[in-house]
Amino acid sequence: MLIFFVDRFSLALYALKDNLRRTLLSILGIAIGIAAVMAVGTISKGGNYLIFSELETFGLNSVWVFRDRGDKDPHRRVREGSGIDNDDYQALTGGCCPAVQRISAVVHASFSKRAVIQAINRYSNAQVQGVDVTLTSIANDVVIQGRPFRARDITSRRAVAILGPTAAEDLFGAASAIGREFRIGNRKFTVIGVLEAKSRDFLASIGSSGGQDANNRILIPYTILQQMLGHKQINFLHAEAVTQTQADSAAQQLIAVLKRHNGHNYSYKSETMATYITTTERILNGVAMIGIIAASVSLLVGGMGIMNIMSTSVLERTREIGLRKAVGARRSDILLQFLLEAVVISTLGGLIGLTLGTIASIVLAEVTGFPLAPSLTVIVIALVVSVAVGIISGYLPARRAARLHPVEALRYE
Amino acid sequence: MIALSDINKSYRVGELVLPVLRGITLKVAAGEFVAIMGPSGSGKTTLLNIIGCLDSVDAGSYSLAGEVVDRASDDDLARIRNRHIGFVFQLFNLIPRISALRNVELPMIYSDVSPAERRQRALHALQRMAIADRADHAPSQLSGGQQQRVAIARALVNTPELLVADEPTGSLDSGTGREIMALFGELNRAGTTIVMVTHEEEIAAFASRIIRLRDGIIATDEGG
Ligand SMILES: Nc1ncnc2c1ncn2[C@@H]1O[C@H](COP(=O)(O)OP(=O)(O)OP(=O)(O)O)[C@@H](O)[C@H]1O
Ligand SMILES: [Mg+2]
Repeated sequence: MLIFFVDRFSLALYALKDNLRRTLLSILGIAIGIAAVMAVGTISKGGNYLIFSELETFGLNSVWVFRDRGDKDPHRRVREGSGIDNDDYQALTGGCCPAVQRISAVVHASFSKRAVIQAINRYSNAQVQGVDVTLTSIANDVVIQGRPFRARDITSRRAVAILGPTAAEDLFGAASAIGREFRIGNRKFTVIGVLEAKSRDFLASIGSSGGQDANNRILIPYTILQQMLGHKQINFLHAEAVTQTQADSAAQQLIAVLKRHNGHNYSYKSETMATYITTTERILNGVAMIGIIAASVSLLVGGMGIMNIMSTSVLERTREIGLRKAVGARRSDILLQFLLEAVVISTLGGLIGLTLGTIASIVLAEVTGFPLAPSLTVIVIALVVSVAVGIISGYLPARRAARLHPVEALRYE
Repeated sequence: MIALSDINKSYRVGELVLPVLRGITLKVAAGEFVAIMGPSGSGKTTLLNIIGCLDSVDAGSYSLAGEVVDRASDDDLARIRNRHIGFVFQLFNLIPRISALRNVELPMIYSDVSPAERRQRALHALQRMAIADRADHAPSQLSGGQQQRVAIARALVNTPELLVADEPTGSLDSGTGREIMALFGELNRAGTTIVMVTHEEEIAAFASRIIRLRDGIIATDEGG
């Protein structure tokens, strides 16, 4: 069987030499097509990776619930306020909502007079947020130094803080911040933890970083922040759904509870990470689709080139086909011979395309820093596609050759 | 060896049906050397193609070496041609890109002979045709007579019982033609049945039997 193939292969290579220029053109067409397929594959994979790793910094199952400011209709009694207070929060943390895994209150530090954040003679412009013990887990915040909040920190209104890396750097330089003190306004806080740096560069570059610098934050217990601000309001709720698909139910369940409490005064809305993820996936798929169309066009052109070469080759070699049939070649022998020629051309193109594509993705990986290593799947797909292009574009000419009548073929001038 | 009975064959050209063979009945015994002659257009090539299992018949029956072949499938005919029939053409029909040796190996590729045996048998066939020293030459580097020797080597390499030749000396000068006929004579004495079409009386004289066609029927059948 192997011998059988080697024979036909060596004959196929003879034929390629005959039409070298046209063959090279077709090979190029396939190569460009395959390289494009690979580029699309690796770039969309890299893009996916990048965007999802940034989306992950918000927590992929995140749900945000806040007052719908569009509710200010003149008949409503209460116009001001965040619409959520500690009593509501109490109800929400009591296992009200089966689709909710965890929930944290978030309170903004909206001081009437701007409070200076200061450690001896260093200053920070970080955003101060009052949060519950759960927030770091919900938002995928990793405490790399020190410790996360404990329940007692919140309930006892302890003056402790967890700093984002930028805030830590601004206040304490390169030295460890753990155990050090700083002030927010005239209130003294002790640093108990420092957060790992989060990258949202890409999202920030398209204006979707959520309006805050994730690294320049100071987290303190919401209870102490409320005390400093002198109110019991909660600006919004940051919850984590049990699963990404239950994000909507989680939001609805939370809103239902809030409405039961305050329905005649406020209405609420929610945002979920799941909708952003869906949108992102749609955009990424769109980009991949464009790439796939472009790749298909070059493969089509390459395939048509091969079909053209093979048709010419069949015509030029009509007498040879007649002779081969006379000395005993069956239809399947002739079919296979020409199919193999087509597949050799397309696979050569595929291999060149793979090489170009690999080099391109290595260069791209260097330049962009995306992890763009071409995967085995992409390589296998590229090779399967090139073999398939060869078979598809070689089939019709090969079948024409196989069906030639030996007498007619031998008479051909 | 060959038994043709009331063979009819016509070609359709547009509306016109052109009868080419009109009732050919013919027996050729194993070991015969037959020449087919006749004016141009009398159906010699058509008859030879049928005998060589290259073409089908419209009516009549044909059995070759006891096997009825007029209803055989394309692939069966290919196998029969491969095992039992050797072909020699006026224009040699060597494949131009490949060496003489590879040309001779061709029929064995389609009967799955191992490469080593193929090479050895091809060289042996070229030796018999006294052209082994040109085994590595491309057909374009050979003279007409040398090309025809390579073609005969190719026809012989699967040791067929029957050799069919359509004007094998038609493209050669008379001296070279006689050399080719001497080779045919040798093959025939070694047991190969030969059916050959020719225009030349001098070439036909090498055969032991001469069949003359006229308008698709056998006009005379001498010798044998
Ligand atoms: N494929 C074909 N289609 C139509 N007519 C054909 C075909 N092949 C042969 N013929 C006709 O059949 C007749 C016999 O042809 P054939 O080739 O057998 O003649 P021939 O005796 O070999 O002639 P020549 O000595 O010139 O080679 C001719 O009239 C030819 O035109
Ligand atoms: Mg003829």
